[in-house]
Amino acid sequence: MAFAEPKEAFPGQVVPVTIGSEIQETFGGENTLPFHKFEGSVPNRPLIAYEIQDVPPEDWPETVRKVYEGVSDDPVKWARYCEDELKARSIALRLVGTHPDSKNLSADDAATVVKGVLDAVKVPIIIMGSNHVEKDAEVLPRVAEVAKGRNCIIGKAQEKNYKTIAAAAMANDHKLIAMSELDINLSKQLNILLTQMGFSREKIITDPMCSALGYGLEYTYSVMERIRLAALAQNDEVMQPPMLGDVGMYVWKIKETQAPEDVLPEWGSLEERGILWEAMTATSLMLAGAELLIMRHPRAVEYTERFIDELM
Amino acid sequence: MALTGVEIFKLLPKTNCKKCGFPTCLAFAMKLAQRQASLDACPDVSEEAKKILGEASAPPIRPITFGTGDKAVKMGEETVLFRHEKKFVNPNAFVLEIKDTEDDATVDSKLNDVLTSEINRVGQLLRIDGICITNESGDAGKLQSLAERIAQKAPEVAVMVNTENPDAADAALKPFSGKNPILYGITEANAEKMVEIAKANKAIAGIKAQGLEAAAALTEKVKGLGLEDIVIDSGARTASEILEHNTYIRRAALKKNFKPLGYPVINFVQRDEPMYEALVAGLGVCKYASIVVMSSAEKWKNLALFTLRQNIYTDPQVPMQVEQKIYKIGEPTPDSPLLITTNFSLTYFIVSGEVENSKVPAYLAVMDCEGLSVLTAWAAGKFTGSKIANFIKESGIENEIKHRELIIPGYVAILSGAIEEKLEGWKVTVGPREANALPAFLRQKVA
Amino acid sequence: MLIIGEKLSIIAKRVREAMMSRDKGPIQEIARKQYEAGAGMIDANIGPAEDGGEELMEWMVTTIQEAVPLPVCLDTTNYAAIEAGLKVHNNDHGIAMINSTSNDPERFPMLELAAKYNCLIIGLTVGKGGLPADEEERAAIAAEIMARAMEYGVPLENLYLDPLVLQIATTQDQAIKVIRAVEMFQQLNDPPMKTVVGLSNISNGCPKHIRPILNKYYFLMLERVGLTAAIADPVEMKEAMEEKELFEKVLQGQEIDDKEKMRVMKKTIDVIMGNTLYAHSYLEM
Ligand code: SF4
Repeated sequence: MAFAEPKEAFPGQVVPVTIGSEIQETFGGENTLPFHKFEGSVPNRPLIAYEIQDVPPEDWPETVRKVYEGVSDDPVKWARYCEDELKARSIALRLVGTHPDSKNLSADDAATVVKGVLDAVKVPIIIMGSNHVEKDAEVLPRVAEVAKGRNCIIGKAQEKNYKTIAAAAMANDHKLIAMSELDINLSKQLNILLTQMGFSREKIITDPMCSALGYGLEYTYSVMERIRLAALAQNDEVMQPPMLGDVGMYVWKIKETQAPEDVLPEWGSLEERGILWEAMTATSLMLAGAELLIMRHPRAVEYTERFIDELM
Repeated sequence: MALTGVEIFKLLPKTNCKKCGFPTCLAFAMKLAQRQASLDACPDVSEEAKKILGEASAPPIRPITFGTGDKAVKMGEETVLFRHEKKFVNPNAFVLEIKDTEDDATVDSKLNDVLTSEINRVGQLLRIDGICITNESGDAGKLQSLAERIAQKAPEVAVMVNTENPDAADAALKPFSGKNPILYGITEANAEKMVEIAKANKAIAGIKAQGLEAAAALTEKVKGLGLEDIVIDSGARTASEILEHNTYIRRAALKKNFKPLGYPVINFVQRDEPMYEALVAGLGVCKYASIVVMSSAEKWKNLALFTLRQNIYTDPQVPMQVEQKIYKIGEPTPDSPLLITTNFSLTYFIVSGEVENSKVPAYLAVMDCEGLSVLTAWAAGKFTGSKIANFIKESGIENEIKHRELIIPGYVAILSGAIEEKLEGWKVTVGPREANALPAFLRQKVA
Repeated sequence: MLIIGEKLSIIAKRVREAMMSRDKGPIQEIARKQYEAGAGMIDANIGPAEDGGEELMEWMVTTIQEAVPLPVCLDTTNYAAIEAGLKVHNNDHGIAMINSTSNDPERFPMLELAAKYNCLIIGLTVGKGGLPADEEERAAIAAEIMARAMEYGVPLENLYLDPLVLQIATTQDQAIKVIRAVEMFQQLNDPPMKTVVGLSNISNGCPKHIRPILNKYYFLMLERVGLTAAIADPVEMKEAMEEKELFEKVLQGQEIDDKEKMRVMKKTIDVIMGNTLYAHSYLEM
């Protein structure tokens, strides 16, 4: 029996998205399954953004907090550190301090932080709210304005607040993260609603909601695979935006990245465990289709980049 | 082509004699169609039917067992390319490589890593499943003494012997004869001799090829020499080769019914750094490897890989369940609110996430309802007044909290009366229907 | 096709209140309406009914049969409540049905009742823990239920196999598998096994205005492969039967005059068959 490579070609294609102004990065654009260069075109590598925030990261565990000691008290210093020292290709600024239960910073406060960060660095910026539905609808339009001209990604728009946030992204020429909670059908629905209000599907990044290794990773993994198959095999246009894996936030709050080795000796080194946990969550989701990743630990980023090198 | 249950049924004796352990021939036929039973179980099936069924029921990826005893690893029998379609069947084995050039101390420390690797995660015992002994030295004697050392110190662990030298293979396989070892290193050049040795030791043939075409030719050759239990190394070493070869092999076997590649796959992922090696091993886990050979087995690395394998091989049809108990979110005090929900893990992840978001410390009672969501569990009679009351009473939460108020999901508001009746002295409060309304609800509650 | 009217369910607020206050008015009105629309049986869903289930089921059966000359489908997990309902059931109006047994040992006793009272019974093709992945698994469970039924002395013609319709909004791939299961179940015996579905679950969780559309067309797709009975809204099913010919044409790829209807049918067929991904706004795309 002669062997013939069972190649598969798909009618659909993932939308390529370019962000940034002076320095630009493009991700997405493939017409095949993740890293299937052997049967399709994969023009861009996934993009990893370093996560920083507007207030000091007090709830980050030691392993990752200590990396940013001396810079994380000031988002501008922090952003510079990522760009200059860590050679970040992109930076994701999360405005957690605006959450009513955190510092409840105002939209104006947020705008000042965003302006400071934008002035300090050149790489493309992702600006995210605190995931508080109402507060985000207040804060994100204001910061979208401040960031006009920088071709950022703002988010996250959810079913309950997408109108205001999408309108602001549209008016100020930004890309938008559309998030739904681990439900492929609701994810499609949100993208439909966005396109129905005139928001271009070419400016959407789908966030099907991340989960950490061991904490529901298989759900995110399968939702991503299904979204990608709908985009490629069914040529479903609203499912063709690239996908986000918001990895760091989910990984650095679970037990495996926090429990010390003297309490759980059978789990081995806490430092290595935490870093691997973040890197492996990221690489697994990339294999399922994520093209944009938000991460925290520089070593996790480094290993993930190396993994991408070997696949590209 | 696989036959349907009804087609198989037509070939059975139709006497419903129950000798197969199933109540009827039809029930047996249905299980056969799903490959959950073996035709041998029916003593009365005709020779002709056996022939037809034997061919039709051979799975597209051959089932093979590596090792023996409790810790034997089943491989093969996969039916899909994507885990959402149907469960990935047999989780891959993780195998640690030990070379015959390594000193005794290194060998012993690696052996120790394997023997102490077992951990319990969500009710499953997970471990490094096997050892690959590699004839790095090229010397048959050295491989033999390593084999003997391992057979003596780790008699229960599945072993794969890695050499292209028939003399070394013969010597090193002996201690594992009959224990379903793998003889890896069978090439076009040495196949005749190596297959003889493998057969003599009841070993699985591990073929070593360069490329898929060569691999297909070699499995055919080995099969022709009389050995059908085969595992394939296609020569893929880089991540992109592994992804390409593993994908093509799985697709060829499942979609094209291409028998020469219908065998489990071995991936060698050794790298200089353990952390990086773990990521490439993870590629093997996600993308169709049956055996992943690594150069180290640190505990932190094992934990991440075992967890990934468990996640990927979870049955998407059986909702993942979380353990029944009262979970503490934040640092609750005796006055903190108590909520209840079912143990469907997605429900649990979302509800606990929203309680966390609320920043209100709370107790979350998670009740075993076989992983069903709230409404389904209620309709199935598993989330009912008396069952909830029992669970709360037996949980011991009454000793931990001062109040006696239970918050139930809005979807089962109907249960509040029944619970209050059976849980004396308790007040039931109906919470929101959707989890995302929980933060506002809880904040208002404690305000 | 036997339509089992689904409207008397404890999940509906109005029905629940009437059940709790034993107010015959709304129950009988709803039963009558379903009878007039062509229902051949009335489902009485009283929920798990842990407390007072027996008395409630008795009351439901008599209340319904006072109003309409139909048999009742007794729908609860409470064994004693089923038995109480069967005892008072008026068989002059037809044979009662038990909803349901399954492959979960907890539900086997229902077969005992079906044998004892010589009534019909629904066999839900699910086991303990986990939903069946596809039609093959459903058929395997069906075969076990059939064997169990014979063991208990329930004639196979009294057994209605139910493949368990799931929500298209969350488990779209199951829609087509259920259709295939209905085809497959019939082959499990000669004469063919009877089949039943809880139809409206297909559109559970969908926006209100598209629920009847999904219900009707899903019903027609099941009907054409030989479904025996459906627990459904008889008014919707009557409308569905009126559209049957047009639907068949669209399914065969032919044109029909009403272009809007054709569009809706086509999109709905695509969603049911899994050709396009479901979203609440699928009709608007
Ligand atoms: S042993 Fe064979 S004949 Fe007897 S019931 Fe099983 S399949 Fe039928």
